[in-house]
Amino acid sequence: MATTIERPSASGRADEATRDRKLPGQRRHGLSRVALYTLLSILGAIAAVPFVWMILGSFKTGAELRQTPPTFWPHEPTLGNYETILNDPDLPLELFYRNSLFVAVTVVIATLFTSSLLGYVFAKYEFRGRQPLFWFVLATMMIPAQVTMIPGYLILVQLGLLNNLWGLVLPSFVDAFGIFLMRQFMFSIPDDEIWSARVDGASEWRIYRSVVLPQLKPALATLGMLTFMFHWNAYLWPLIVLTEQEKRTLPIILTWYNTQHAAQLNLVMAASVLMVIPVLIIFAVSQRWIVRGLTLTGTK
Amino acid sequence: MGIFLLLPIGWAILLAFFDFSPRRTGSPFLGLGLDNPYVGVEHFRRMLDFSNTAPLEVRQFHTALKVTLLFAFLVLPLNLAITLPLAAMIESVRDRWKVVYRTIFFLPVLTSAVGVAIIWGFVLHPQRGLLNGTITRLTGRFTSIAWTSDADLVFGGLPIALIAIIVAYLWQDIGYNLVIFIAALQSIPDSVKNAARVDGASAVQTFRYITLPLLKPTILLASVLTMISSFQVFDLFQVMTNGGPDDQTRALSLDIYDSAFRYQRMGWAAAVSVVLFALVLTISLVQSRFLKANWEY
Repeated sequence: MATTIERPSASGRADEATRDRKLPGQRRHGLSRVALYTLLSILGAIAAVPFVWMILGSFKTGAELRQTPPTFWPHEPTLGNYETILNDPDLPLELFYRNSLFVAVTVVIATLFTSSLLGYVFAKYEFRGRQPLFWFVLATMMIPAQVTMIPGYLILVQLGLLNNLWGLVLPSFVDAFGIFLMRQFMFSIPDDEIWSARVDGASEWRIYRSVVLPQLKPALATLGMLTFMFHWNAYLWPLIVLTEQEKRTLPIILTWYNTQHAAQLNLVMAASVLMVIPVLIIFAVSQRWIVRGLTLTGTK
Repeated sequence: MGIFLLLPIGWAILLAFFDFSPRRTGSPFLGLGLDNPYVGVEHFRRMLDFSNTAPLEVRQFHTALKVTLLFAFLVLPLNLAITLPLAAMIESVRDRWKVVYRTIFFLPVLTSAVGVAIIWGFVLHPQRGLLNGTITRLTGRFTSIAWTSDADLVFGGLPIALIAIIVAYLWQDIGYNLVIFIAALQSIPDSVKNAARVDGASAVQTFRYITLPLLKPTILLASVLTMISSFQVFDLFQVMTNGGPDDQTRALSLDIYDSAFRYQRMGWAAAVSVVLFALVLTISLVQSRFLKANWEY
C-alpha cells in the first residue's frame, strides 16, 4: 500500500544545480527541445480546453450558445448569467458555501487532532499488539466506500443524524489515511527529544503539544489540505445523508442546478464556474502541499 | 477505535445474508429478522443465475460487473500509456516550465468529480457541445451526436457512452499518477542518465533501458492504486449518464447505490458490495504479489 518516494532535499538541490549545466554535444538537441515544448503545449492546451470552454461559455448569452455551430470566443461577452444566478432566490450560494465550509473545516480540525495523536501513539509508544493494530488501520483504507455506506446510513438513522451536517462530519473523525501519514512524519522526530522532555517532568499531553506538534507543522498542512479537498469535493456520502435543499453541500447543489436548468446551458456554465473555480484556485496555489502528501504516501 | 472501524464492515457482511429493507420492521437487533428474514447465501446463489429468466436485479448486477471490469482494465493501460511518457517529458523541461505544465495536468485532480462530470457534459452536449461544434466546423456538416445517451453508438464493441466516461476519468485522473512519476523520475540521479547519454544512447533509448526499469516499483504501486480506485468510481457514472443508455454504463458502485437507496433492497446491495470488496481485495493481492516478485532484481 505504501511507499516513500522522497527525494532527500540536499542532494535534490544539487541535482537541480547540475541539471542546467549542459553536457558536451547537448546543444544540437535544440531542435528537439523546441519540439518537446511544442508537444507539451499542445497537450496542455487539450487538457485545459474543457475548463476554458466552460469559462468562456459562462460569458455567452443563451442565444449565442444555441447557435450552430457554437462560437468558441464569446461574441458579445456578458455578465448577465452571473447576475441571474447571484440574484436567484432558489440558489442561495453563500448558504451552500457555508454548508460545505462547515463540513470541510470541522473534519479538518477533527482529523488533524485525532491523526496526530494516534500517529504519535503508533510511532512512539511501545505496546502489545501495536503492529497488528496498525496493519488493521491500514487495511480499513482498502474497504470501498460502497461497503461501509449502507451500515453507515443505518447508524446515522439510529443516531437521528440523517439530513444533518454532523452526519457528514462524525464518520470522518478518525481517518486511517491521516494516522498513516502522521506516523510516517513522526519518525523524523528524534526519540531523544521526547525522552528528555519526559525526564524534565513534562506530562505526556504536554510532550504531544509542545514537542511533537510544533515539529509537525508541514505534515499538518499537508494532511489538512488533502482532507479539506476530499471533503469539499465529496459527493456520494452527502448525497445519501442530506435530503433537504438548505442542508446540501456544493457538489450536490451543482448537479441539482445542472438538471434543473438543462435547457439553459449558459446559466449552468456560470453556476459551475462559481462553484468550482474559486476553490480550485486555492487548491492550485497550495498544490505543493497536496503533491507532497500524495507522493509521500502513494495513496489516493 | 478498532470497533469503530470494524463495525460497518461486519454489519455489511451480516446484511448480505438477510433480505433487509429499512422500510420493514425487524427485530431490535440491527433490525434483522422478522420482516427482514435470514436468507443465507441466497443472494450469492442468485448472482450465479445467468439464465434469461433471472430477476432484473441479477441481470443488472451482471451488466454492472461487466461494465466495471471493462472500465478498470481499460483505464489502467491507457492511464500508464499517457502518464509515463508525459511525466518523462515534463521532467526534462526547465524547472519553471515544469511547474506550469504539471499544474495544467494536475488541475482536474483538484476539481470535484461532479465538476469534472459537468464540465465534460458541456464538451459532449449534443447541440451546444464543443466536440460536435468542432466537428460541424471542420466537416461543414451539421453534427449532433448524443455521445452519452445514444445506445446505438458503439465503437469496437464498446458503447461510446462508456468511452466518454473513460475519457473524462482519464482527464481527471492522469495528473495524480503524473506527479507520482515525476517525483520518482526526479529521484533517479542525473549521473545515471548522463552516463547513458555519453555512451551514445538516444533520449528514447535512455528512457526505455535506464529510466523505465528503475521506475518499475513505482509503476506497479501506481497500477494497484489506479485499479483499486477505478473499481470504485461513482460520481462520474452517476452524473454523466446515471447508468444509461440501456444500462451500458451501469457500474457496480452505481448498481449498489441504486439497489440500496433507490429500491431500498439493502440486503441485496450489501451482498453486491461484498462482491466488489472481494474483487478489489483479490486484484490488489494479485498485484502486490507482482510487486514483491519484481522487487528483487
